Amino acid sequence: MQPLKIVITGSYSAGKTQFIRTISDIETVSTDYAVTLDEERELKHETTVALDFGTIAINEKLNLYLFGTPGQERFDFMWEHLSIGCLGYVVMVDSCRPGHFAETQRLMARFADITDSPFVVAANKQDDPAALPVSYVRRRLGLPLDIPVLPCVANDRSSVKTVLLSLLKHIASQHQAERAEQA
Amino acid sequence: MALEGTLQDMSLSDLFQVFRMGPKTGVLLLTHGTERGIIYVAEGRLIDAAVVRGTERTILSSKDEAVISMLLWDDADFTFRHSLAVLERPARIEHDSEWLVLESMRRHDNPVRALPYQSITLDTQLQLSPLPSSAESGVSLDVNQWRILSQVSIAPSLRAICEATGVPPDQAIRTVAELMSIGLVEIAPPTLPKPKPRPRAATGTSSHGQMMAPVLASTPSGEEATPILARGLLDAIMRRIRGL
Repeated sequence: MQPLKIVITGSYSAGKTQFIRTISDIETVSTDYAVTLDEERELKHETTVALDFGTIAINEKLNLYLFGTPGQERFDFMWEHLSIGCLGYVVMVDSCRPGHFAETQRLMARFADITDSPFVVAANKQDDPAALPVSYVRRRLGLPLDIPVLPCVANDRSSVKTVLLSLLKHIASQHQAERAEQA
Repeated sequence: MALEGTLQDMSLSDLFQVFRMGPKTGVLLLTHGTERGIIYVAEGRLIDAAVVRGTERTILSSKDEAVISMLLWDDADFTFRHSLAVLERPARIEHDSEWLVLESMRRHDNPVRALPYQSITLDTQLQLSPLPSSAESGVSLDVNQWRILSQVSIAPSLRAICEATGVPPDQAIRTVAELMSIGLVEIAPPTLPKPKPRPRAATGTSSHGQMMAPVLASTPSGEEATPILARGLLDAIMRRIRGL
């Protein structure tokens, strides 16, 4: 049986590790190492160089696996491996760092090459009153209206649930559209 | 926590639009070489500003002129912090942010450079921006701005707008940059190509309560494809997540 897998991706320091920690049934497996580049150290002291891994038990026999990709582009060789066979993916973006938008656009283009799985964008740190609004994030990322862009607070369980549910609804509607087309 | 970046990441005119959309209240600090700028924002409105130089903080400009001089900076580091204390300050800026942005564009030798991450060409497709509900602007558009604005929702590209209005391309690009900087138009996002039909769509459904195995499609070559789940399984995953 193929595993049920959702990938959480996004640029450096977007909140992927926290997102998985907030919702996972298990203590997440993270492979964080001390940051070596000065400009990255300004944002956080530890970074994910391999992957984050969490699970949600659907029933006694079935688990949903959450995989977080390493954010830095120099580890993008791992993205393809992680995204193969995923149900869909969440692109996380920091709503307080417009400097990360260009990298997020490159990442989305790369993922579109790797997989045709449905995705949603989670605009993280929306609890900061200075955060950019979701509509501006959508505009700057050049996202059409049929890609959901959702407000997110990665350390808030209900917010993470909303993002995952939106992704699953998006997956369902895309599957439905494909079935209708094939019928 | 704060909104941080450079003006190459996000222009000052975009920041002003975001302040109006919020509406946001706080202090925007900018650093441009030895010059430092400060803009006070109260419920989306710019109420006071100053530009100073050096450690002795010599005031170079203040109020409206300070905002315009900051709008003419090609790059600067910025930090915007939420602060309700700004609401206590008196308003000293006379014009609204749209007027200040347009005035700076008039003084700019190349206004397109004011939007560093937006590429405007004759093939660019434009759309009207959704205006923030509180937008009440005192800005008055010139004839060229009106002519282009009237075509945005009809014409498929800027080239078509030029043909319909007779506005020369260079002037049209400049005018579009002005309209974008005050948040009246924006570049239309690309339309997504329809997803390619997958090899075989699963039709099985699982009734509630049964053990539900994922129903997967596979490619003829045996490659691992994106799985297509039975609707019942997706519903079960959603129920589980809702219950967390």
